[in-house]
Amino acid sequence: MNNSANENRIPRGVSHSGLRELLAGFMDESAARQTAEDIEKGEEILGAHSAPGPDERVLAEVKKNVVAALRRRRTVVFQRRILTAAVAAAIVVVSGLVLMRYGDPQNSHQIRMVAASIPASVWEGADDADVTVLTAEIENIQSELSGAHSDDGGNGSNDIGDLETELIEVNGDMWKG
Amino acid sequence: MAQRGIDRVITGCKKGDEACFTQLVDIYGRRCFGYFYRLTGNRDLSEELLSELFVKLVEKISTYRGGSFDGWIFTMASNIFHDHLRFKQRQTRLLDEHSKRIKSKSAGVAGGYDGDADKMQMALAELDSDVRELVMMRYYSQMSFREMAESRREPIGTVLSKVHRGLKRLRELMG
Repeated sequence: MNNSANENRIPRGVSHSGLRELLAGFMDESAARQTAEDIEKGEEILGAHSAPGPDERVLAEVKKNVVAALRRRRTVVFQRRILTAAVAAAIVVVSGLVLMRYGDPQNSHQIRMVAASIPASVWEGADDADVTVLTAEIENIQSELSGAHSDDGGNGSNDIGDLETELIEVNGDMWKG
Repeated sequence: MAQRGIDRVITGCKKGDEACFTQLVDIYGRRCFGYFYRLTGNRDLSEELLSELFVKLVEKISTYRGGSFDGWIFTMASNIFHDHLRFKQRQTRLLDEHSKRIKSKSAGVAGGYDGDADKMQMALAELDSDVRELVMMRYYSQMSFREMAESRREPIGTVLSKVHRGLKRLRELMG
């Protein structure tokens, strides 16, 4: 068998360069040479008895399937993007509606009502003494706060500042347990 | 085709270019078909597996992160072949034909011959399935032994030993 015939049969790139050196890491030099020769000759035999190739019709069919898969994939990606955009738009619209409904200062007391109703319902069920004490303190501060708001005197802003400090302390105690 | 040309085709495939995908079929179609044919001995089955490989490639091309593309595509081909084997084993169990197949001459070949098996195909059927697959992968993928060892997560010495054993036996059978 001549080399030019092999070039057509053995796939380009089947390389035996460095094979002996690689094998020498596992065996002595003469065994490495023999093993490399076995591998080279074996691959030459494979090249001399190449497998039958596919028909052109088969390759054309494969190409057709690939293009169809590619278009299907594009459609799926497009649909996914549309869906994502629709979800994002829905979130924006809902957020906008919520802001319009509850973001109005005239309706802000409704937000407070909703927010207040949650801890109240939770605390009603609680029998922890600390919670009771803290609740009393917060109620006390709330009444002072409303008093400060209605106060027309010049000390109003200082009172509110004191109350805020007190509220922060109570809040801190609450989280410390 | 030069490596730079192949790189350009792969880049085009990643962008979803149809022409690049058909070029990829031109570059690798025959080699992959040869690989499947030598493992299955069946032309129809090899055509099916070839089609499956390239359709899967459309889904997976974005996961290719450089390195030997030959190694990458033949690792995928090997996975498809193993999926086929698993499917076939399940099917065989269901049909209770396993014992018949073991007795047949083509027991070592996954698909069964399609009637016009050549001498090489008969010789390959004599090899252990694992050794046969390694010999075919090395030959058709053009991977180095080091790349094959990485791809199969086996020590390089084991891969060298199996390929050597397989090719030596093949020489004896074909001699």
